[in-house]
Amino acid sequence: MTLHPILAALRKHKAGVVLISLQIALTLAIVCNAVFIIGQRIERVNRPTGLDESDLLLVSQQWVGAPSGDDPASVEKLDAMQREDLAALRHLPDVASVAPINSIPLLNSSWTGSLSLKPNDQLGKGNPRTAYYFTDDQVFKTLGLRLVAGRMFTAADVEHQAFRDQHDRPVVIITQALADKLYPDQNAVGKVVYADGSGSPSTVVGVVARLQIPASGGWGGDFAWSSTLVPTRLDGYFARYAIRAKPGRRAAVMKAVTPTLYAVNPMRVLDDDSVKSFADIRARAYRADVGMAILMGVVCLILLCVTAAGIVGLTSFWVGQRHRQIGVRRALGARKIDILHYFQIENLLIAGIGVVAGVLLAVGLNLWLMTHYEMNRLPSLYVITGVLAMLAIGQAAVFVPARRASNVPPVVATRAA
Amino acid sequence: MLKMSHLSKVYRTEVVETYALRDFNIDVKEGEFVAVTGPSGSGKTTFLTIAGLLETFSGGEYHLDGIEVSNLNDNARSKIRNEKIGFIFQAFNLIPDLNVFDNIEVPLRYRGMKSAERKQRIMDSLERVGLASRAKHYPAELSGGQQQRVAIARALAGSPRLLLADEPTGNLDTQMARGVLELLEEIHRGGATIVMVTHDPELAARAQRNVHIIDGQVVDLSEEPRFHAHATATTLGHS
Amino acid sequence: MFAYYLELALRSLRRSPGLTVLMVLAIGFGVAASMTTWSVFRAVSGDPIPWKSSKLFVPQIDMWGPNGRGEDGEPPNAMDYIDAVALMRDHRAKLQSAMYQISPSIVPADASKHPINVSGHAVYSEFFPMVDVPFLYGNGWSASDDANRAAVAVISSKLNQKLFGGADSVGKTVNVEGKDYRVVGVMNDWNPQPRFFDVVNSGGFSTGIEDVFLPFTRAIAVDMNNDGNTNCTAVPSESGFAGLQKSSCAWVAFMAELDDAAAVTAYRQYLDGYAREQQQSGRFAWAPNNRLRDVPAWLDSQHAVPSDTKVSLLVALGLLLACLVNTAGLLLAKFLRRSGEIGVRRALGAPRAAIYAQFLIEAAMIGLTGGVLGLLLTGVGVASVSWVLPRDIASLARVDLPLLMLTLLVSVVATTLAGLYPTFRASRVQPAWQLKSN
Repeated sequence: MTLHPILAALRKHKAGVVLISLQIALTLAIVCNAVFIIGQRIERVNRPTGLDESDLLLVSQQWVGAPSGDDPASVEKLDAMQREDLAALRHLPDVASVAPINSIPLLNSSWTGSLSLKPNDQLGKGNPRTAYYFTDDQVFKTLGLRLVAGRMFTAADVEHQAFRDQHDRPVVIITQALADKLYPDQNAVGKVVYADGSGSPSTVVGVVARLQIPASGGWGGDFAWSSTLVPTRLDGYFARYAIRAKPGRRAAVMKAVTPTLYAVNPMRVLDDDSVKSFADIRARAYRADVGMAILMGVVCLILLCVTAAGIVGLTSFWVGQRHRQIGVRRALGARKIDILHYFQIENLLIAGIGVVAGVLLAVGLNLWLMTHYEMNRLPSLYVITGVLAMLAIGQAAVFVPARRASNVPPVVATRAA
Repeated sequence: MLKMSHLSKVYRTEVVETYALRDFNIDVKEGEFVAVTGPSGSGKTTFLTIAGLLETFSGGEYHLDGIEVSNLNDNARSKIRNEKIGFIFQAFNLIPDLNVFDNIEVPLRYRGMKSAERKQRIMDSLERVGLASRAKHYPAELSGGQQQRVAIARALAGSPRLLLADEPTGNLDTQMARGVLELLEEIHRGGATIVMVTHDPELAARAQRNVHIIDGQVVDLSEEPRFHAHATATTLGHS
Repeated sequence: MFAYYLELALRSLRRSPGLTVLMVLAIGFGVAASMTTWSVFRAVSGDPIPWKSSKLFVPQIDMWGPNGRGEDGEPPNAMDYIDAVALMRDHRAKLQSAMYQISPSIVPADASKHPINVSGHAVYSEFFPMVDVPFLYGNGWSASDDANRAAVAVISSKLNQKLFGGADSVGKTVNVEGKDYRVVGVMNDWNPQPRFFDVVNSGGFSTGIEDVFLPFTRAIAVDMNNDGNTNCTAVPSESGFAGLQKSSCAWVAFMAELDDAAAVTAYRQYLDGYAREQQQSGRFAWAPNNRLRDVPAWLDSQHAVPSDTKVSLLVALGLLLACLVNTAGLLLAKFLRRSGEIGVRRALGAPRAAIYAQFLIEAAMIGLTGGVLGLLLTGVGVASVSWVLPRDIASLARVDLPLLMLTLLVSVVATTLAGLYPTFRASRVQPAWQLKSN
């Protein structure tokens, strides 16, 4: 079949052709970028934190009228209160282990700084950034961290300090990602780092495979895996405890926590938000990402339906308009399949114009989003998939009206319209 | 009523210039019933479209009811069509989506007539063509003759001074054609000016005056038709 | 005549119901998607204090120097304690307040109830008149309360309900962090979004409400720790909250009311003068690099509107555009198929304007019907965002009369615009001698 008659017919419907290919172009551009956004969000949400997340929960509580913690006596008092809480929680029958911790991955509340290989270095200044987890020796069992080199903390490593104090940190454990930044191609265990421009050294005693920092969003994205564990309990007016329940016992532990802590000391704030399962923390951290992905998904769905329906509608119209012409072709010897192919090829041409324009639009939209918002470059795989999908949708949409056209009987040619 | 002097109509394409009308002169007096005849492609339909202000012309003058129309804008031309001219088409040209009543109402609507007056006029004109009982029918439900009567009723409803008819009986059998012709004659007796294009000599004979068009010019039937060098290019014409 | 065109439009729409439904659905979904994302965008991009936002300014002082600046040369978005207190002492604006976010516990008088945690701010007395805090009972505290570090508090009506059953509690005491404070005012419902007076700590939007305001001076005196961000370029040389107050860490928010351009200029000069003084005294080793932005500019610079919200709106508008192009294509096919009718109408004396009116009204009818569908879908959409988007933002999106009117308006106007080209083409159909067949 030659293209010539199709092209001639399309020239007669110039405006219609322009509109439908513009629609295909817009659809392709928007769907490519929207699906890319969905892909990025899913990728972000599916990042493993490095924790064993099941059976994990976090308690955040605040004492009322507690000492301010700026003098040694009140620090000791606060630490005693914290140890009391820890003992009570560890004593619960369904609890596997408990660790005090200042934050947890995805909680979006963090203490960050930087590690340097030199003492008294300026803070920041190109040194690897890190987020600190102040905790104790129970942290590995509680969070389910995997040690890849060196040793875990021991009870003897554990110290305690006032919440805002800048204490020396003789031993630390860092993540593999941070170790690679500090000591590329070397074993970090036994090496020395200086935290936050400090003059006193911290010895790296171990390396964990993976541990995400508390920030889940765009902020902190460039050091998302650079965590540092410090074996120190922070003593302040509030404290957090990470709890690992025995397998399947998380709900029971969550119910038991509040009465247990009130029994230790009623002068504290514990409300609905105080005891959260890690699943909740994860859902809250990624709510915006999941929401955005759903929103983009809905937009894509509507867009594809509207475009497909638009092609069906317009082609049906054209078929109706050319009813007699089709009859004449049939009378002149065109087979049904020829008529079917005619409309299919016509659609392929229109969709072809549309996707060429659409690819340009998609890339343009992506560049624009990149300059104005946090957005990465659209991978060509998305564009190619989008192009093929649009062509396929066009063919699927054109099939029904095209088949109707192919069923026009040749006798139509002899009738007056 | 209708006076064209040295009027010409040229269709231009990239390669040829085709004269549909050339140095065309005609003068139809108020109240006349003129039949325009001529062979296919002679330009009689072009003449009628220009006379009905459906098309513009390339040169010369056209006075309609004393008004020089060549400088009128689209709105003024629409107004004249609406108020002074009635059309009867060969193909009836009823709007299929509208019933008989609504079809006749179309020109009255554009005249901005009040509803009561519209209704009165529609029923009167339907009465005149003998189709008062079919007001709610759709064109597809009527015979060809009935459709043409509806078209005539539509033309009459606006009480036009000039009635333009293009082969009004072309799509009808003899019986129906006779009825339509009688209707036209009755309208003429009512005082309207009628210009009718036809190639049916019998029909033409019923008119007061015959005008013959050949190759885009009015010719005196007593003269021999002249042969024009450009005749081969006069391929236009619709009927 | 309008009624006639309306009747013709309905007749035409009824004649091809499939096509009509298709166009109405496209417009309905396109408009609803746009309006749903618009409702979210409108909620987060609104001016929280429109009558006064151009008079409220946020000063920024560069106490970190070139190493602490962002790539854009911006100074920190909060102040250290030293500068904030110095600006309060100098008192150069008509009204001003340094403030920091607090999250104290409140102990109910009823001993059987557990303590609760509330959020709020430590502010100066001028804060209340400056941001027009509405009061149900009483008022803010006085400047002398600031000076005397008085144990006074302003509480929210919600907290008042919880603690005092909603009665006028002015003069009663409330136990904050184990110490008694005298209630001087109860706010009427006040929950500005975004939290323009402290965007940095609230992240812009908050599901909670401000339950308690205490005097800044008092909160410092009782070592009430700040809740929220503390950013440092160097480790404080002394420990504890006291050490934080002597450091260059940024944690204090500041706002000043400047009523006219002259006051703004004068305040700018004052800030530069202050920074120069610090330079001369050796505290700053760099030239002044201050900023002074009014609330709208400040919200913009802090990206208070989440980029997701903007991208969603943009994508939804793209969807609407695609739906309109779709409708334009279908209308074009539909209108041109009726060129025979148009030609006859023209021959019978319809001026171009009449053709325009007839077909634009037909397009507008589709827009109106699509708009009604869009209203329903927008309702569903706005209800749905509350379970897909983060609560702090989703809770702000709501359906109200202006949104409904806008939905209809956008739908009708957009569809009429989409019908413009098809109508233009229809109006160019020549008065015809014949209904063309095929």
